[in-house]
Amino acid sequence: MDLNRLVAYSLRIGVFASALLSMLGLLLWAAGGFNGFAVVSGSAIVSALSSAFMGSDSGIIYLAIGILIATPVFRVAISAVYFVNAGDRKYVLISLAVLSMLIFALVSGYAG
Amino acid sequence: MLGPVDVLVILLVSIIAGLVGALFGLGGGVLIIPFLTLVEGVPVPLAVGASIVSVVATSSASAATYVQDHLTNLRLGMFLEIGTVAGAITGAFVAVFLPPSALFVLFGLILLYATIVMIRARGIDFPDNVMPDRLSRILALGSQYEDHSLKRVVKYEVTRTPVTVFVGYLAGIVSGLLGVGGGIINVPTMNLVSKIPVKVASATSNFMIGVTAAASASVYLLRGDVHPLLAAPLIIGVAGGALIGTRVLKVTPPTRVKVAFGVLLAVISLLMILKGFSLPVVL
Repeated sequence: MDLNRLVAYSLRIGVFASALLSMLGLLLWAAGGFNGFAVVSGSAIVSALSSAFMGSDSGIIYLAIGILIATPVFRVAISAVYFVNAGDRKYVLISLAVLSMLIFALVSGYAG
Repeated sequence: MLGPVDVLVILLVSIIAGLVGALFGLGGGVLIIPFLTLVEGVPVPLAVGASIVSVVATSSASAATYVQDHLTNLRLGMFLEIGTVAGAITGAFVAVFLPPSALFVLFGLILLYATIVMIRARGIDFPDNVMPDRLSRILALGSQYEDHSLKRVVKYEVTRTPVTVFVGYLAGIVSGLLGVGGGIINVPTMNLVSKIPVKVASATSNFMIGVTAAASASVYLLRGDVHPLLAAPLIIGVAGGALIGTRVLKVTPPTRVKVAFGVLLAVISLLMILKGFSLPVVL
């Protein structure tokens, strides 16, 4: 499969999954009587994500947000693998540079 | 306190924002930020946090279509992302040190700048005899695409790449600060400076925005500036709107696209500047 189609599919699946989960989260919120949501930060986001699997409405929306943010990151990772296979060293380096900055953003944001 | 009505209204507005965003190579944040701050009265950090998440959705949804149509220059996009992502991280960290009024004025000024550049840029859609610079040759950035309205294959070269990378860094800062994609800065620069046809510039900018916004979105998310009840309707609406928007770009002539774009941006930028100077802007 060529890079164009690979990238297109992964982007579509990520956004679709995220939009569906957002919808599910909002429906559960409506079913529960529109209760207020707590906005969480840092390591509390990890517990919010795990609460999604227990059917928590805000947890499911946090999961949707997480999947959405991961979608372009995943796209860069696929591109890196593709360029490795194509033997294009310049673009392997470029993809890895972008990927490491994205990981830095996550790690530094998590740390504070 | 966000109620069901707010969520529903945000959902509808974000469908429109997603459509417009996809049409003009923007993330849609350009419309979402003024809406959330001016109309819904959402505090600036939460508006920016929600908007930047929705920008990831718009970009990814519409980028998928452009990429499949080979309108996006993947190599160019990947390369320019080095600048935009570094800028986005810078912007997201600096944002907490700036007062909201400064962000309003900055938002308005940047929009105004983009409007002027885009309106003046009319007529140089398909630059000929462009000599690629050294970097562009090494990285093989030039490419071609099939123009559906012209019904022919357009070949193009990329020139003055370092300038566009640097401007991309600045666009990334703006994106991380204001919760927009940065397409308003990237598209005109790619077109005017690097001589990339506007459709390719638009599609490639859209592609870059996803990764750029993901970088600053993760900073906002972990900082606690992403409200689930703002983000959820935005994600749903914007993703839906973007899917329709990419169908329109293929048939709309570039000149009309830009004029419509310019008028819209000018109005919004004036409103945001007024708000920044604490004038009672009521919508």
